[in-house]
Amino acid sequence: MSRAQADVRVGAVAYHPRIVTIWEKFLEHFEREGVCTDYILYSNYERLVEAVLAGDVEVGWNTNTAFVALEQLLGSEARILGMRDIDAQFATLIVTRRGEAFGEVGELAGKRLALGSRDSGHAAILPLHYLGEQGLEAASECELVRFDTDLGKHGDTGDSELRVIRAVAEGAADAGALGEPTLAAFRGDRVPAVSGLEVAWRSPTYYHCNFTALPSLDDALAQRWEAALMAMSYDDDRMRQAMDLEGVKRWLPGDRAGYGSLAAAMREA
Amino acid sequence: MSTRRIEAGELELGGGLEVLLAAALEGIPAGGRLEVITPSRSTALELPSWARGVGHEAVSERPVPGGSFAVEIERGPFDRVLAEALRGGRPGPPLRDGAFHTADLRALADVLPEADAAAGFTPLGATAERGAPAFRWTLNQRDALWADDVAELTEQASAAQWDASRDIPWEAARGLPDFIERAVSQVMTFIAQNEYAALYVPAGFLADVNPAYPEMLMWLASHVHDEARHVEVFTKRSLIGGQPSYALASTELSLHTLLDERDFSGAALLLNVLGEGTFLDLLRFVEHHAPDAATRAAAALAHRDEVRHVHFGISHVRRHIATDPDQTAALIGAAERRATKLTETSGLSPLLTEGLTVMAAGSLQPAELARGATEVRELMQTMEDNRIKRLRAAGFDGRDAQHLSDLHTPNLM
Repeated sequence: MSRAQADVRVGAVAYHPRIVTIWEKFLEHFEREGVCTDYILYSNYERLVEAVLAGDVEVGWNTNTAFVALEQLLGSEARILGMRDIDAQFATLIVTRRGEAFGEVGELAGKRLALGSRDSGHAAILPLHYLGEQGLEAASECELVRFDTDLGKHGDTGDSELRVIRAVAEGAADAGALGEPTLAAFRGDRVPAVSGLEVAWRSPTYYHCNFTALPSLDDALAQRWEAALMAMSYDDDRMRQAMDLEGVKRWLPGDRAGYGSLAAAMREA
Repeated sequence: MSTRRIEAGELELGGGLEVLLAAALEGIPAGGRLEVITPSRSTALELPSWARGVGHEAVSERPVPGGSFAVEIERGPFDRVLAEALRGGRPGPPLRDGAFHTADLRALADVLPEADAAAGFTPLGATAERGAPAFRWTLNQRDALWADDVAELTEQASAAQWDASRDIPWEAARGLPDFIERAVSQVMTFIAQNEYAALYVPAGFLADVNPAYPEMLMWLASHVHDEARHVEVFTKRSLIGGQPSYALASTELSLHTLLDERDFSGAALLLNVLGEGTFLDLLRFVEHHAPDAATRAAAALAHRDEVRHVHFGISHVRRHIATDPDQTAALIGAAERRATKLTETSGLSPLLTEGLTVMAAGSLQPAELARGATEVRELMQTMEDNRIKRLRAAGFDGRDAQHLSDLHTPNLM
């Protein structure tokens, strides 16, 4: 079947040229699984959420922030079709210069706290939320040093988090928040700025991206598409490179358990 | 399942700890556990996301007495490399007086009769990971390429390299009488034209050879490199004396047909056995009659290389015919096809014959010129006699050898 007549159109945000590589490979997989799928790229998550709500795409590959925003606009529960293994156990870290780690979050009061893009769940919204739960109203008690780069991409590019760790390393901030996988990637890539940093705090875990559909999506089609997604294997040599680019080793069924904190944080905001 | 334990010491992620972890996890089956002890709280906090990122799972984190932290990692189900597990160590190949000879590469891996046309650059002894892009090699049959002594010839080629800028006594070529220099320049240009063809022919096959035959790649690369140096040295010799020369169209016509042959064995016969074989006699003649030490050295050094190339051609064709006697007709067909394209070529260009005659005479005096002309006639006979000997050595019977020699281009290569 031609992609133009695909049963499922997936919307994704083009935060990097590799998104094309990833989806071209993913489409081959869905075709092999017998669920004709196409993808449509958007430049930001706000457009993607609009597209899902308008029915321009059947499925949106959303950040957690986009998912929560979509449900708020929808006014009811959306359908979650799956997520990556790393999305199920996401956490935010706060780093300091080596030897300056704090014991309790209260010690951050009066300090400069660097945050990533303000629309990033993991690099801005959730660290403020969890620090608040632990007794620190960082927005008023700390001097926030915000790096609002790539707004609309919800932190996907990692650019704001790179600025966060540089700010801490260079002394322009005392502490900085970033996603766990981002720090692991910086360590793996031997990014110079992280070598003098240590992790002082780790947030509770929460969910990150998911494939979101409207409740009106045909049940049988949704199940077929989700089954095809789950069938994608990291042991399949045709898929490994694309899965590495997407940062997934195993797809997990979607569930709602890990979005409560972000929903609360976005309501507060 | 028992849990292995390692001490991270001062190592951190991004600072070498991941190397220690990878080595430790390699020996643990999927589902097995590794406990990492680290004095760094930061490292303990980072280990779970590191583990997830590489397909494992941190299943517990706890402080341990002495102020350290223990993080238990369960090994995930995925192999890091999509290939069969590497087999354990084995003895390396033998050395000969400390040298690792190319021929001994095959102590580790046989020469595959047929290689996978889509295979990638997998060095001998290595295991290819699945998922690499597919190539489309066209020379995938051992018997279409091989010579039994190709590794030895490659070895010799490496050992016999020389430098056309410094190994030739260039000063000796200056100051010859103009008529001699003009003759030498014309002969050198003719040889250089032929060396171009001898470069392009193996180069045209080189990139088609399946990487499973590295000796063939090394051999062809050395062949191409040798010819590049021959182009260099004969061009330089033509230029050094300041006398101009012609790149003759009849030579081009002959060489053009050589490049038309797209069968590897056909090209080996036409270029290595017949063309370069005939050139062995030409180079000997030039060396013998060279009016200066630079020309003599250039011809002698090039001759040494051409001996290898001719040897490869004979060895390959002999093996090819022995493996499949039907190939004899195909090879003769290649020579016949070429000959039909060369009907316009009547013989060696007079400019070249004259140049060789003057070189042999060393003078424009009639008696000397007559002697020079005799020498050139004798050269042609020597070339024919030796061509037939080489063809016989390559496995052709007397009748076929004579036929092939008769078909050979009058333009020498």
